[in-house]
Amino acid sequence: MARIDFTAQLDAGPCTGCRLCDLVCPSAAISMVERKAVIAEDLCIGCGRCVDRCPEDIMWMVQRPEPLVKTVGRDEVDGAAVDALLLRAGIEPEISVCVCTLTSAWEIAAAVVKGAANLDQVSEMTGMRSGCGIYCVAPALRLLQAAGADMSPPKGHRWYPCTVALWDLPAEVSERYADGLIDADRNSFDPTRRYRPLTEDAQA
Amino acid sequence: MTAAHVPPAFMPSVYAPPPRPQLAGTPGMTSVAVQELFPSIGGAIYTGDTGDLGAVRAATLDALEKVDMSRIDADDSVNILASEHGFALMGGWAYAEMIKTLREVVAERTKCRDIRLRLAMYRGFREAEEVRDHFGFDDAFGGKVKGLGPFDRGVAVDTAVGRMYLVNRAFDADKFVHAYYDDPREVYFNRLLYKSFKSFCMSYARFETRSVYHSHFGSRSGSVIPRALFDSDFIQQRYTFSSVLRTSPAGVIGIDATTDLYAIDRNITAGHLATYGRMLRLFLEIDDCVAVWDGGRWGYYLHAGGMIFGALLTNQLDSFDLDIPVVAGFLQVPGESVNFTRNPALRGLVINQAWVGAGIPYVTMPITSPVYIVGDQQAQLWREDPCNPLLRDRATVVATVEEALTLATTKGGTDKVIVFDGSYGHITCNEAMAAHLRARASHVEQLVAGELLPKWMAQRGLR
Repeated sequence: MARIDFTAQLDAGPCTGCRLCDLVCPSAAISMVERKAVIAEDLCIGCGRCVDRCPEDIMWMVQRPEPLVKTVGRDEVDGAAVDALLLRAGIEPEISVCVCTLTSAWEIAAAVVKGAANLDQVSEMTGMRSGCGIYCVAPALRLLQAAGADMSPPKGHRWYPCTVALWDLPAEVSERYADGLIDADRNSFDPTRRYRPLTEDAQA
Repeated sequence: MTAAHVPPAFMPSVYAPPPRPQLAGTPGMTSVAVQELFPSIGGAIYTGDTGDLGAVRAATLDALEKVDMSRIDADDSVNILASEHGFALMGGWAYAEMIKTLREVVAERTKCRDIRLRLAMYRGFREAEEVRDHFGFDDAFGGKVKGLGPFDRGVAVDTAVGRMYLVNRAFDADKFVHAYYDDPREVYFNRLLYKSFKSFCMSYARFETRSVYHSHFGSRSGSVIPRALFDSDFIQQRYTFSSVLRTSPAGVIGIDATTDLYAIDRNITAGHLATYGRMLRLFLEIDDCVAVWDGGRWGYYLHAGGMIFGALLTNQLDSFDLDIPVVAGFLQVPGESVNFTRNPALRGLVINQAWVGAGIPYVTMPITSPVYIVGDQQAQLWREDPCNPLLRDRATVVATVEEALTLATTKGGTDKVIVFDGSYGHITCNEAMAAHLRARASHVEQLVAGELLPKWMAQRGLR
């Protein structure tokens, strides 16, 4: 669960329509209307990246009158489907995938099961990426891939489909980088060998 | 009691609160010299508060003399790739001096005219311009200076472990030079296992690649990702050589430069295990303390005696022992919860001054260690930092650093204070901490030299 206290706003007058704010927005809250940025405050998860990125310095953060709570509850989804998706992706349910909001892998998987079709929608539904916007990305992308989502990268460079995990590495990589302790880590993190490579066959 | 050394001056930034007097200048603070604790750690040519940048320039010239630059043609374009944490070391001027000297030598030796500087920054979009202006890089590079970060346009790179994405702007030239620094930094993540390659999956990489490295691999197996990127055809077609600012807890000790990054890494790893290994182990001997952030970068990465605060925060296990699968990180042994802040010796943290989050989450820290923020203005910056919602909710705001220290030490039940203010060559602390460090150093010396260092070296195939 993420509590969003702030939202971005802007003075659209001097906006040049450069789209730099849009490209760094994690929840697709910014759109361009007649070459001016428009912020959908109900989608904004308050990361502030657009404010920092704007070369015209015409954006700012304001406190919301009431915090916006982003979460996907356990009563909203089929728990068995969430567990199955996590197993397919090879991600432990209880780890904090987003270390800024402490959003668990289970909740991110729940967002995918609930219908999130891409990274932007996962972020908007859970509030993940409202902080640093970096470390939570690969697990979320991997869960989307495991669910069979379209992994074609969107126009621009909002995100790229990069999802490789420890469980995907073939034996020749373990041999080539033997001192990387790949097999030792597998034994530590998956001692019962539940996780498999995320091949196309393994996707939903 | 002698007065504390003045810590290195730091770069002003929009990500920082207004500067306030540092603790090192106040009564009750002192310094413990690194070489007093560990005479085996040799001297330095530069520490930020002492030394001559001319020595850094001379060391760079000397190191580059032996480097094969034949991969650079006169009509090539060349990017010198610099990473932001180098500018956090001792005020950043030594790293900047190495970079400027690099440019001069490459131009002179190869007759190449199109040499650019690419400043890889973590998350702050305005930081590259701050670094460029503060260190005078526009003059040194004839205006050919650009910043880059994890959210910039990517370029796909096929590697032995699969397709990864680097930042296009880092590689928008025919060739590049890896201009690095050897700060061991997050030893709990990198485990000093091929640390010299890390930029290839962090500074030069898109956020998806950074996330894969941190979230989908353990801290040991993660070392494969930067190496796979470095070994890729994409990188090898563009790579020319590496130049690394070498450090120890004493300060800058020289420059290492060669085309063989694997050779540099072996040198660095062996040196670090012997020097930083002693300091890290000494930190483990601290049974109780209050830490203070008192510098011009993210608090997590502020130094004391060359070790970052994060090394103290997570220092409940031996990060250099590769038999331990995880010290801190995302992948966890099943049944064990994720926690980055498990050192029970840290009884409190006082934030006198540091950059706000800007992408460094300290989210669980206030759960295990009470946090005290000095000043309402600084506290407001933390309240607006989306990376750290729990810190914002749980920290105590106090008016003065003296009040914060009194509260933190009283509630924490400790009389020992250690200050992370960017210092190399010594540790800024109070007298109680100084006495404790001095008392434990000889035990650490024997333990590291006699038992731990041989094990760490053997685990890495080093002698």
